[in-house]
Amino acid sequence: MATGVHVNGAATSSDWQDRYYHVDQILDRPGPRTDPSFLAGDEVKDFLRNKCKILVIGAGGLGCEILANLALTGFKDIHLIDMDTIDISNLNRQFLFRPADVGRPKAIVAAEYVMKRVPGVEVTPYYGKIQDKGDDYYLQFNLVICGLDSVEARRWINATLVNLVDPENPESLKPLIDGGTEGFKGQARVILPTVSSCYECSLDMLNKPTTFPICTIANTPRLPEHCIEWASVLEWPRVRGDEKLDTDDPEHIGWLYSIAAARAKEFKIEGVTWSLTQGVVKNVIPAIASTNAIIAASCCNEAFKIATSSAAYLNNYFMLIGTEGVYSYTFEHEKRDHCPVCGGEALEMSISRDWTVEQLIELLTEKQNIQIKKPSLATPEKPIYFQQPPQLEEATRPNLEKKVSELVPDGGEVVVTASTLPFSLSLIITYM
Amino acid sequence: MSSQDIVTATTTIESAPDAKTRRYDRQLRLWAATGQSALESSRVLLVSGSATSTSILKNLVLPGIGHFTILDHAKVSHSDAGNNFFLEGSDSIGKYRAEEAVRLLSELNDGVEGRADTRNLENILESQPEWITSFTIIVAHNLDHALLNKLSALLWKDARYPPLVVVRSAGFLADFYIQFHEHTVIESHSETSPSLRIDKPFPALRELALSLEYDKMDPIDHGHIPYVVILVRALEDWKKTHGDSPPKSYEERQQFKKGILALKVKADEENFDEAEAQAYRCWTETKVPSEIAALFSDPALSSETMDSDRSPFFHLLAALKEYTKQSDTHTLPLTSTLPDMKSDTLNYIQLQRLYKERAQEEKQAFKSYLRIPVDDCMVDSFVKNAHALVVLRGKPWDTFDENKAALVESLSTMPKETCIHLALSALSLLQANDTSVSPSAESIRAKIQSIVGQSNKLPDEADDAIGEIARAPFSELPNTAAFLGGMVAQEVIKMITKQYVPVKGYCVIDLIETSTGTISA
Repeated sequence: MATGVHVNGAATSSDWQDRYYHVDQILDRPGPRTDPSFLAGDEVKDFLRNKCKILVIGAGGLGCEILANLALTGFKDIHLIDMDTIDISNLNRQFLFRPADVGRPKAIVAAEYVMKRVPGVEVTPYYGKIQDKGDDYYLQFNLVICGLDSVEARRWINATLVNLVDPENPESLKPLIDGGTEGFKGQARVILPTVSSCYECSLDMLNKPTTFPICTIANTPRLPEHCIEWASVLEWPRVRGDEKLDTDDPEHIGWLYSIAAARAKEFKIEGVTWSLTQGVVKNVIPAIASTNAIIAASCCNEAFKIATSSAAYLNNYFMLIGTEGVYSYTFEHEKRDHCPVCGGEALEMSISRDWTVEQLIELLTEKQNIQIKKPSLATPEKPIYFQQPPQLEEATRPNLEKKVSELVPDGGEVVVTASTLPFSLSLIITYM
Repeated sequence: MSSQDIVTATTTIESAPDAKTRRYDRQLRLWAATGQSALESSRVLLVSGSATSTSILKNLVLPGIGHFTILDHAKVSHSDAGNNFFLEGSDSIGKYRAEEAVRLLSELNDGVEGRADTRNLENILESQPEWITSFTIIVAHNLDHALLNKLSALLWKDARYPPLVVVRSAGFLADFYIQFHEHTVIESHSETSPSLRIDKPFPALRELALSLEYDKMDPIDHGHIPYVVILVRALEDWKKTHGDSPPKSYEERQQFKKGILALKVKADEENFDEAEAQAYRCWTETKVPSEIAALFSDPALSSETMDSDRSPFFHLLAALKEYTKQSDTHTLPLTSTLPDMKSDTLNYIQLQRLYKERAQEEKQAFKSYLRIPVDDCMVDSFVKNAHALVVLRGKPWDTFDENKAALVESLSTMPKETCIHLALSALSLLQANDTSVSPSAESIRAKIQSIVGQSNKLPDEADDAIGEIARAPFSELPNTAAFLGGMVAQEVIKMITKQYVPVKGYCVIDLIETSTGTISA
């Protein structure tokens, strides 16, 4: 608990007169767009500074910004999770890190820095994965803010928080604020699990990743990217066999670059560079401090408003593009009835009578609003195909070739699960 | 980099990137070495050490500007120490705000030079204005009304003086404006691509298309003809039997597309599918885009301007105007960049080579219209981006608020943003003689009314803006400061690198709804 914190050996609070002068102007009186339930004055300040517990997921480009902003806003009890260590390419924007910190865990360095700079803040870092923590860990927080760089991780935390909600216990509803950036583009959203649209509801808004057909890569390259894909996807396994490709290892990138360049020379293709090689192989997303600052600030602003009720909060999605002037779009993303995470209803799916189980699985992997990577399927009575454990996989493997219609009646239910995602998707299969 | 032959280009192996390149990798992918070099040569002046100002600076120091100066004669107050990350809590109280902030900001990047100047802006404007005009760009946050007028007037005096970014905020509301005379952009990074000129094929392309003998071709080669060539040929064949015109009516276009698919010898020939999908290129006339054609009437191109007074950009634009007038096709110079398409390597590279050679010829022709020598790299970039050039012309900072007609118009088309802007203007005026004034909602409304004109009714949206300002007239919230820090730094970077398009007009921000809007553009 925050009230017991001692910083710099001082037994008394580390606050000083007028420390929160700016924030208190908001907390001392309501504004025109403040909910009537707002309790101006000491009570809300006490909650914010002595009781509120907030979780920040990610200590990278967004995470560093979020941590600093929350600390200045007055949150005193902040937890921070990040599974990465610091890389030199982080330093152009992840401002809590210095060249000497390269190689150290982000969560730990970030916590150290902010605690040193902002007196009285307690930042509890965890160097590890969000999946390492269970429900009771997440239940302790009032708010969760995400600055993640992975769709899988976002889906995981989203589903976890939705599953935590117990309609009998309002405290189990943990607002989730999610931010993301890419170059000059960014978005911030507020998710109230089971109440508003959740992350899974908007899965189909994601851009499809660029993939190159294998025959182009193998036989008819035209672009420098094709040569690079050939080096990483085909040539690496052939030449370096069992060795796992580490895209952070400069030697590996160097090897791929020279192989790709040689292939490009052979096919008279221009444009293979070190930078392009790294970009393709690591799927590098351009990133700058300014966009991260904007989105992180939006997220923290929402956290402040939600935690204090001092002003209306974002309902519920903010998108920003900064390439041509400033273009932004604020809208309410609607909850999806068939959302496998927060919706109740099963998704109706009409397939050909001839389709095999394997084809159905491929569809589930690729369909924009589903995108489950290694799905396991079962009817309410029996398994169809399970990806794990190995014995069950072996036992159900013959079903892959069978027609779905042999195993599931018209209008029958199929339950889809995946080990990476803490939710199941219900399908009602009909045949055309 | 001038044109190299393919062999050299593909055998030059780069060595592993150095530490600086690795550090800046993620941003180099946005503005490349040229943008980075412009940043590293820049000198930025912030005329305050407020939390918003240091936030802006953070986002400029991290990407590596050359130099920054914080001009601020104030000492750190108790409240400053609580909302600014670039002060060290209560330890900083009583010290010079500029010195503390510069010290802590400089830690972010040792390639950047930072300087604290504790003089008073008022004195400098009086006695040493040339010091101010020596910077690349100046940013002023919540500057006193009278000083702001003096500063903006000074910087407007000469078109060569640096731009000024005016930033204002209170509580959850903010706006910012870039004052500049003229800003030209070659690398706007627009999403639109230049035309492949399928409707007006250059001779070598036309020849290639006409040379195809579909019935004598090997079936594998047939499936590898790039769609560009298929379309050029299909269009030529169509025109022969349709009075030299492309497909016009809906029926004709459907017929044309069916004709392409009918050329398939195997169902899976994706190049023909691609050609059918791209068939619209045959009946969409390639001409100079209207935005570019509009630039040809720019006053900077008038014959009265002397060559020596015209910047290289406008020399290039003048040459472009002349080139499009004189060329056979009356189009912009051909692009050398070909998008990917279904084909084998040989056919694709061959087509690419034809485009490159023709683009090179057209570029040479373009260059012949230049009246002064211009750096090769700039010429290359200009031609490559000719379809997406941008010229912005700005106005002095106070023009909008002085123009009642413009205000009234803006109040009806964008009431929310205009009301926020006016509320901030009212606040600035009410605090002009006494910065400790905490204005009431009534006095703010009265002031807005006087700016807009007594006879002009304020929309309902004014209530929210007025109420927010009255609630928190002195509040510099950390999240508002951080938000502005990102927004303004981004614009400064665009101005310095001359890449991407900066904001023209007042960008108004509401952090209760979390929305932005630009007025008086």
